[in-house]
This record gives sequence, C-alpha cells and structure tokens, in this order.
Amino acid sequence: MTALIQLSGITKVLKGQQQPRTILDGVNLDVHAGESIAIVGRSGSGKSTLLSVLGLFDRPDHGSYTLSGDDISRLPERRAAKLRSSHFGFVFQRFFLLKHLTAAQNVAMALVNGQGWLPRRQRRAKVMAALDEVGIAHLAKNRPTRMSGGEQQRVAIARALVRQPRILLADEPTGALDTETGTLVIDALSAVTDRGCALILVTHDRDHAARMGRVMHLDAGVLTEQAGAPAGQGGRR
Amino acid sequence: MIRFSGRFRSAFIIGIQGIRARKTRTLLSMVSLFLGVLAVVIVQAGASIAERAQLANLELAVGLDGTKTMGLGGASPQVGPIILDTVKGRQDAMALVGMQAIIGEPGVRPVNPDAAPFDGSWGHSAPMVCDAVGNCREQTAQESGPEGQAIEVRLTAVTGDVRKFRPYRPVSGRWLDFTTMPALAPSLVLNKEAAKGFTTHRVPAEMRVAGASANLTPRFVGVVDDGDSRPRAYVRVDELSHWVPTTKLIDPSFGEVQVLLDAETPVEQVLASKLKAVNVETYTELINSRKDQEKELAMLRMIFLAMAGLVLLIGVAGILNVGLATVGERVEEFALRRAVGTPRALLAGIVLAETLITGMLTAALAIGASVGGLKLLVTLFGDSEPFLQGLAFPWDAGVAGIIAGLIAGILGGIVPALRAAGIPIATVMRA
Repeated sequence: MTALIQLSGITKVLKGQQQPRTILDGVNLDVHAGESIAIVGRSGSGKSTLLSVLGLFDRPDHGSYTLSGDDISRLPERRAAKLRSSHFGFVFQRFFLLKHLTAAQNVAMALVNGQGWLPRRQRRAKVMAALDEVGIAHLAKNRPTRMSGGEQQRVAIARALVRQPRILLADEPTGALDTETGTLVIDALSAVTDRGCALILVTHDRDHAARMGRVMHLDAGVLTEQAGAPAGQGGRR
Repeated sequence: MIRFSGRFRSAFIIGIQGIRARKTRTLLSMVSLFLGVLAVVIVQAGASIAERAQLANLELAVGLDGTKTMGLGGASPQVGPIILDTVKGRQDAMALVGMQAIIGEPGVRPVNPDAAPFDGSWGHSAPMVCDAVGNCREQTAQESGPEGQAIEVRLTAVTGDVRKFRPYRPVSGRWLDFTTMPALAPSLVLNKEAAKGFTTHRVPAEMRVAGASANLTPRFVGVVDDGDSRPRAYVRVDELSHWVPTTKLIDPSFGEVQVLLDAETPVEQVLASKLKAVNVETYTELINSRKDQEKELAMLRMIFLAMAGLVLLIGVAGILNVGLATVGERVEEFALRRAVGTPRALLAGIVLAETLITGMLTAALAIGASVGGLKLLVTLFGDSEPFLQGLAFPWDAGVAGIIAGLIAGILGGIVPALRAAGIPIATVMRA
C-alpha cells in the first residue's frame, strides 16, 4: 500500500549561527492513511522542525518528501499554501484562537482562507459539524475568553478538522492542559483516524504517546522507531 | 475569476472583522486621515465654488460663455438705424449702448464725477470733457459748476432682455418690461452701486443725457447686481429714443455700442454686411471665460491641492503608524492564517482591505461633513452672499475625497501589508 507521506533522507540544517547545526539528519518516515504516530524526544531534538517540514511550513535542505506519490520537497509557496489548506490540519500547544471572534468564527477561519469560496450557509454547516465532532457545538457563539483551556483546544481541533484534512499534525496539544483535559483532547484527536485521517502527534507525555499506533523517537535529528512500543488504542499500524 | 472573487471576499470579511476588533485604533487612524481627506474635499469644493463665483462675475461683466460680442470700428449716422432695424424684436441678438447720464439738480457738478463709485476709491477728480476728435481733459471748476445734489451714472440702453446673455442677479423690484409700449418717462433699473448712491443722496428725478431734446423724468423700477463697481442704470432703447434721436443714440463716436449675439445666429452676418455698406467695420469675439480662466484657476487649484496633499500625508502617516503597530500585534494571527492555507497575497489583501475600508469610511465622513458644512453656510449666509444662493456641493469635490481616501488607504496600508505577508509561519511553532 502506497504511503500517504514518505520522507526519505530529510535533512535540515540551521544556518545563520556561528556553526551550522543539523536539526534533522536523514529522517525517513512513512505515514499511512488512518495511522497515528507519536513523535517523542527531548526539547531541542528537532520535533517541531520535523513537524514544520511535514506541514510545509519549511523546506528540507536535502532528501525527498512525497505526498500521495507526488514529490513536494521543493514546492513553491503558493502551492504549499494550497496543499496546507486541502491536506493538512494543525493543532498547536497554544491554541491561537482570535479573541475577538466567536468559536464558530475561529473555526471558519480555515474556510475563509482564499482557497475557494463557500457560501455562508455551507460554511456554517461545516463549522457546526466540526464543532459537533469535538463536542462543543453548544459553545459556537462563545468567545475564547469565556472558555476553559480544554474547550479552547477543542475549538482549535475543530478548526484543524473543518476542511477534513488527510493529515492532522499536533504539536504538544496537551502541553497547556491538565491531565484529565489532556486526555479528552487526545481522545478527540485520536477519533480522526477512524475516518482515515493520519495523526502525527508531537508530545512529551508518555501516556499520550502510548495511545498512538507507533511511537517514533527523535534524538539529535535522527528519527528511530521506539522498540517495543505498544500498539495504541487509536489508529492502526 | 472565481479564485479572485473568493480572495476578495475573504479579504473583505477578515478586514471587517479586524476593524471591528480594533475599533479604538481604527478611530484614531481615522481622526488624522479625516482631517487630510477633509482638507482635500474643502480645497476641491472651495476651488470649484471660487471658480463658479469668478466665472459668475465674468458672466455678468462680459456675458455667458458661447455668447458673441460684436464691436464697431468707424462711425456713420446710419449705424443706429441699421442696428435697431436688424435686432428689433429678436431674442438672438441685442444691442447695448453705453453713455453718461446725470440724475439730479441741473447745472451742478455731480457728487461722483465720471460715474465714479461712491466710496471715493477713485479719488475726487474733476469731470472729464472730450472734444470731437477724442482729446479729453479735466473740466475746470467754472465749467463743471458747483457741486450739487446730482449723481452721474453709466446709462446702458438695451434693445431687449439682455439677461439672456448677461445673467444679472435681481436684488429688488423688477427688470425692464419689453412687452409694454415704450413710456415717455423711461424706466430705469439700477445696479447695486447706483442704488447705494440714490439711497445716500436725495436727488430730484431729473435726468440729463447728452443729445437729448429735453431733460427726462426717470422711474426707478428695480435693482440688479451686475458685478460693476461703478453706478450704472439700464433703460429701454425705445424709451430713450423718444428724447434722443436714433442717429445720435447709437453712434460709436458718442458712446459704447456693442451687439450681443447667439453663437449661431444669422444676424451676425446680416448686420456685418449692412454696416460694411456704410463703411463701418465689425469685429466679433466669442466669449469663453472658462477657458481663459482655466490656466489661472488650475494653478491656484494646484497650489491649494498641494497644501491639502501635505495634510493628507500626515493622515497617511497616521494610518501607516497604526497599521504597522497592528501588524506587529497580529504576528501570531497572520502566521496562523498562513498555517491554515492563506496565501501571502491574501494576507497582504486583508491588511490593505482594512486600510482601504478605513480610508473610504473616512472619506465618506469627510464628504458628509463638507456637504453638511456647505448647507449650513448657505443657510446662514446665503441671503447676504448672493453667490452662495442655490449653491450645491460640487460633485468633483466628492470624487476628490473618494480618491484621497483610496490613495490614503493604499499608501497607509501597503507597507503593513507587505510586512504581514512576510511573517514566517514558523512563528506559531516557536510560540
């Protein structure tokens, strides 16, 4: 079966300092549809950089990146933006919700991004479906300032899901939440694999990592599969 | 096209959201911009109104644009009868004959020799006297007689309603009625300066005109504003011709004779031919005051627009300052928008949309304020300032305001827009 994402020999070197520093060193990774992968590692090991490359925020210096068989290693920014909109969803540690918008408007942000136009009614239906998927449809008209951290992160997840992405990238999404709320957020994230969306989760939390299908360890830019990692509850291997 | 439409709508929606989220900042940037746009609108409106006022005065003095004026070169006793016969009863051609007239006590020196204005701005010189070949000199005190209760006016005898060519503004009373039989006591319409003189000085109703068989008893029927600073009175030619023979009345060697013509009237050719037959040359000139004034007015307008432009620049600096500060505050928002697939061009479009909407809103407010201000001005001072009567807001000032708002929006927004488009997405990853 063809991998949804295939990274081969990805290298990223941080320049502009006294001595160039290799952040990613020949990373190889295959991700299949509906798969969930946890990436763990110490701070500064390159987890976020790997996610940046995966999410087309940044380009690798060497190696190839294919998405559904197409090489996208050297994609121009305009096409990268289009792919980000159509294929990827992002969840960050900080929720990045706009305070002056309601939950529904924050979710709609991903739809009003210049990549095609949806009439208001269709937009609203998609937004409500996404909010419903994460269990907070009743908070659609609330502004972020009137929500708890868990609720805000679920709004952020709804924003990531509203375009029905094929890959969901989550960068320490539970970092700012308590354990119980973090578990609920991981539940919401894991659920997306049921409909064939791949989930790549960067986390420091071993319990959350253990719930993923595979656990990858990143150390000094080298990505290795963690031996003996249990098969998670969410996603397939 | 669909893509453009989607991006345009997205930029507009997000721009409106941005403005609503930062009402105070938007208001602050609008304040300085408002003054700038208002300056442009006021300058443009002022220039249009001044142009209109200036042209209005010129129209009174020389005639409406498109009118032809025919002057005469040479003299003949036949000139008067020829002109009167040719233009009689016509609406497309009228003759004006200018002469001096003294109204008041006989045998005295008028209070304003040579029909000078009553404010003394011409000084107090003795009346002039000219011989048959045109040599003029000041009259001696003995010749002019003692100063008495008399007023000298420029008398203009007209063959028809000349207001068709020179739109004199009514002040009081009525204009000359050409539908009635000519009266022996000629009706006179005074200009404002003459009316001022007759209000100040009580003089007997006795008028002396050079060449008249007797002194006349005039009847003042109205006052008009003809833009002339000298006292002037208008009279029907046919009423004056009871007392002054036509050959003397319309004689270029005695007074000014001018024929006003429609641009396309056949009278011009007919009259010129008839006069040529008696060895009187004619010269015709087409009035085009607007074109003549254009250069001068354009220069004036440019100077004022440059000043308004400077004020507008201050407004642009304000909007630029607020725009840059806002982008600085919204780094994470823009990075996030890029992360969810918003192209750089749309990010720039969002910022530009915000500044353009702000600029257009401000322009609308400035235009509204100008319209309101002008209406108030007309209401308060319309009665005392005739050129304000019926004055409407000039549309070109509105257009100038909208253009100023657009330019300010673009100039003030372009740098913040470029900065917003250049924000790296990794900002959200490092946050």
